[in-house]
Order: sequence, then structure tokens, then C-alpha cells
Amino acid sequence: MASVARSGREHDNPAAAPGISISGVCHEYRPANGRPVLALDDISLEVKDREFVSILGPSGCGKSTLLYLMGGFMPLQQGEIIVAGKTVTGPGPDRGVVFQNFALFPWKSVRDNILYGLEKQGLPREERLEIAQHYIDMVHLSGFEDSYPSQLSGGMKQRVAIARTLAIKPDTLLMDEPFGALDAQTRSLMQEELIAIWNRSPTTVVFVTHDVREAVLLADRVAVMTARPGRLKEIVETKFADAPHDEIVKSPEFLDKVDYTWNLVRAEAVAADAEKAG
Amino acid sequence: MAGPSTNAAIALSLRENGMAHWLRIGFYKVGPFFTVTALLLTWELASRLELVIAFLLPPLSVVLLRIAEDMVAGQLPLDIAITLYRTLVAFVLAMVIGISLGIVIPRVASIRWFFDPIISIGLPMPKIALLPIFMLWFGLFDTSKILMVAFSASFQIIITTWSATQNVEKELIWSARSLGASNRQILWEVIFPASLPQILTGLQIAMPVCLIVVLVTEMVMGGQGLGDSMLRSARYVDSPGVFAGIVEIGIVGFCVIRSMELIRRRLLVWHQETQKEETTV
Repeated sequence: MASVARSGREHDNPAAAPGISISGVCHEYRPANGRPVLALDDISLEVKDREFVSILGPSGCGKSTLLYLMGGFMPLQQGEIIVAGKTVTGPGPDRGVVFQNFALFPWKSVRDNILYGLEKQGLPREERLEIAQHYIDMVHLSGFEDSYPSQLSGGMKQRVAIARTLAIKPDTLLMDEPFGALDAQTRSLMQEELIAIWNRSPTTVVFVTHDVREAVLLADRVAVMTARPGRLKEIVETKFADAPHDEIVKSPEFLDKVDYTWNLVRAEAVAADAEKAG
Repeated sequence: MAGPSTNAAIALSLRENGMAHWLRIGFYKVGPFFTVTALLLTWELASRLELVIAFLLPPLSVVLLRIAEDMVAGQLPLDIAITLYRTLVAFVLAMVIGISLGIVIPRVASIRWFFDPIISIGLPMPKIALLPIFMLWFGLFDTSKILMVAFSASFQIIITTWSATQNVEKELIWSARSLGASNRQILWEVIFPASLPQILTGLQIAMPVCLIVVLVTEMVMGGQGLGDSMLRSARYVDSPGVFAGIVEIGIVGFCVIRSMELIRRRLLVWHQETQKEETTV
């Protein structure tokens, strides 16, 4: 059973320092012709083991850049990022990534997309199929195993992408505006599903978004970034009592936090606009 | 009380819409056949009614009869087979060279340094201008013909493969990498299939180029095949023979292009273009 295989994972590597440690990270984009742009300025952030942290900021503040650096997709120019005790030097299956545009392999069926990472882990065929089916069922896509991504709706595609990432059992989940391309209803369903999955098997999650409500609702802590160059402005504690989403979103604490966080982001968005105009 | 009459009007307009709908469908379905049939009919009539001299434009029926005779005599199947053989061998050669260079050039600096200027000059150049050189170097038989054709067609394939494999979404590559794929696996399991639609488009453009150049080399160098037989008919002032050649080439070309489309549809079952109506929303 795939679920049995999963439960052992928590004790796999007790020596490693869990969580994510980002210290003094700067990043500059150097376009071939034009002035270099400082995207990230001295970012330091600690994410605890199995904590759900959201990175929130106005568009263009470098929050996706920070996530890509954690993923190891771009070389680190300055500073250090340590994920689960290991210094990040490149991409790897210890950090699962979910992209805004799904990044599914369009020539592979739903099942084959999910199997891809499992093949790379060299698991026996029987086990791979079993794990893939487990995650297909988990994201409610039973019956669509043989469909191609082009035959699915946006919400279904994103569920495939999440299943594909979860199937390789990453210690850390990096999500780049995963629900940004979805309509409001699908988005709120997906948010609930993500939290349900996360409650069943908590991992360290870094969730980039520009949606204040989404960040406050999902995350334990929300890291608010400034407009370009991106600096860490404030970290807001957003852990609420265990309750269904529709109850949380009506509670005064939640509304207060959303209002407070919204004002932080708004100030930055205004600043970004002023800079653009100036 | 306008109720019933309005309803009747709506029903009528619906029926009209339905009919218009079917007429339109019929028009689009029959349309292509209609154009071709009209053209062929005009050809036959123009010749039969002596609007043109039969020598300049022999009637279609005479041409078709000639094709049937050549078919029975066994010369036509042989010519078609020879022309197709040269076309396909050259096409496969161009495909292998074109795709491998198109993949390697953007990835290996020294190879790019060598080939980039050659391709920049070669792509817009009429490759057929090198035919005399190919004749001098490789003789007048199949070798020179096939090499000439492969040379003419490979530029297009190199260019499309090059640009397609360079423009794969970076998130696709990143997600494969974070799922544990190696560089080599990313090339064959991600970059290649992701570029396949454009590579196939390049091949579909290269195929008619192959056919055209095969016919030209056959006309210039002889050695049987449809091009040679057509030019021979022209030398013998055999006008039905020339027109028979044109019809044969048209039919062969149509079949070759159609089979390329079928192959494309087979290979790209996953692609949006092949499954427009099945999307779940």
C-alpha cells in the first residue's frame, strides 16, 4: 500500500535540520541590453519543519524569483538557502514544485504524467502504478487516468500537477501561484483540497501568491514582501483554530488579519505604481 | 394577440436556419470536389469544343486513357515507384540530418560556430543551383539525385528543429528536472516531444520540396521516373504524354501530402489540434 510506504518517511532523516533557512539572498536580473534590475534585496527567512508559509507581495516584487531560487532553477548570486539541512545547488526531487501554468507534459496521459517522477526514482513497475493510482484517487481524478492534459479543465490540470508533485513524496513543497489561473469557485475548492491533503500528510510548504485572502487562509505565517526590489516587510501570524474554511472566513480574527495584511500589501502596490509612474 | 403567429414565425426561421445550416455543411463538404470537378470539366469541354487546339491542350478523357494505357503496360507503376523511392530515401536522409543538426547546433558551441554561417547563406539560396556540382561530384545516377534532394530539403528541417527545441517552455524543463530527470533524459523525454508539432510542420514543408527537386533532377539527368518520362514525352512532341505526367504528379503529390497529414494526426493524438471537441470544462 502506498499509504504505508508514506508513513515511514517522517523518520527517514532525523539528523537533517528540518525546514528551510534562507539567509542574505540577493538576486539581480541582468538583461542582455539594459540596466540590471535588483529583484531581491537581502532576504532572510526561516521556515519551520512542516510549516505552511505564504509569500505575499505585489506583482513584480520577486516572490516567484525567491521560489525558483529555493527550487534551484537559477544560480544563487548571493546568500545561502538550506532546505532540510542541504544547501541548494540545483533542482532535485527533495523539493516538489507546482507551477502556475501547471507545466504538465501534454504528450503524456494523466497517469503517465504522475508516473514520470516515480520512474526516475527507479521504483518497480507494480509499485509505481499503485502509487500513481493512489494520488489520482486523492485528487479525485479517477476515470481520467488516460486523458491528455488538453482534454482537462484548468482545475483538473492543476490537480494532476499537484498529484505529480506529491507522488514523489518531496520533503518540501514549493508552489508558485498554483491557483492563479483558476476561476474563483475552482480556486476555493482547490484551496480546501490542498489543506485536506496537507493535514493528512504535512510537509513544509512555501506558497507564493498575490491573493491576500488565499495567503491568510492557507498559511501558518504570511511573509509580506515590499515592491521591487523585494525585501521582507513583515511576517504575519495567520494560524487559526482548526475549523472548516467557511467558518474561518466568517470569523472576526480572520477578517482582521486579512484587513491588516491587505493594508500592508496595498501600501507596497501603491509604492510600486508610484515608481512606475515616476 | 401575436402569440401563435410569432411562434410560427420562430418555427419557420428555425427551419430555415436548419436548412441553411445543412446547405452550408454540404457546401463545405462538396466544395473542394466541386472546384476540381469544374476545372476538369472546363478542360474537357474547352478541348472538345475546339476552343483550344487539341495539341496544346488534349482533352482530359484522352489524357486519362493514356494514363490507363501506361498503367497496363507497366511503365507508369515503374516510374511512380522509382520517383517515390528517390523521394522517400532523400526525405528520410534529410530528416535524419536535419533533426540531428537542428538538435545539436543550438547545444554545442563549436558545431554552431561551424554551421550557423552555412545555414544563414544556404537557407534562402535556391539549392537547385548546385545541381551541376552534384552531377560533377556524384554522377548522373541515383546517388547524385538523392543527395541533391536531401540537401535541398534539410535546411528547412534544421531551422524548424533548431527553433522548436530552443523555445520549449522553461517550466516544462524545470518540472522534469525537479522530478529527477537527467540532462539527457530532458532532451529526449521533454524537449523532443514538446517540439514534435513544429518539427512535423518542418517535415511537412520539406516533403513537397523533395518531390519538386526529384522531378527536376529526373528531368535534367533522366534515369526514368515521372520527371524523366514527362520530359521525354515533351521531346517526342507527345502532348497527351506530357499532360498525363502532370496529372500523375498531381495525384502522387496529393497522396504523399495526405499520408503526411495522417502520420501527423497519429503522432499528435495528445495535441489540441487533434481533439477539439472532447475538452471537459
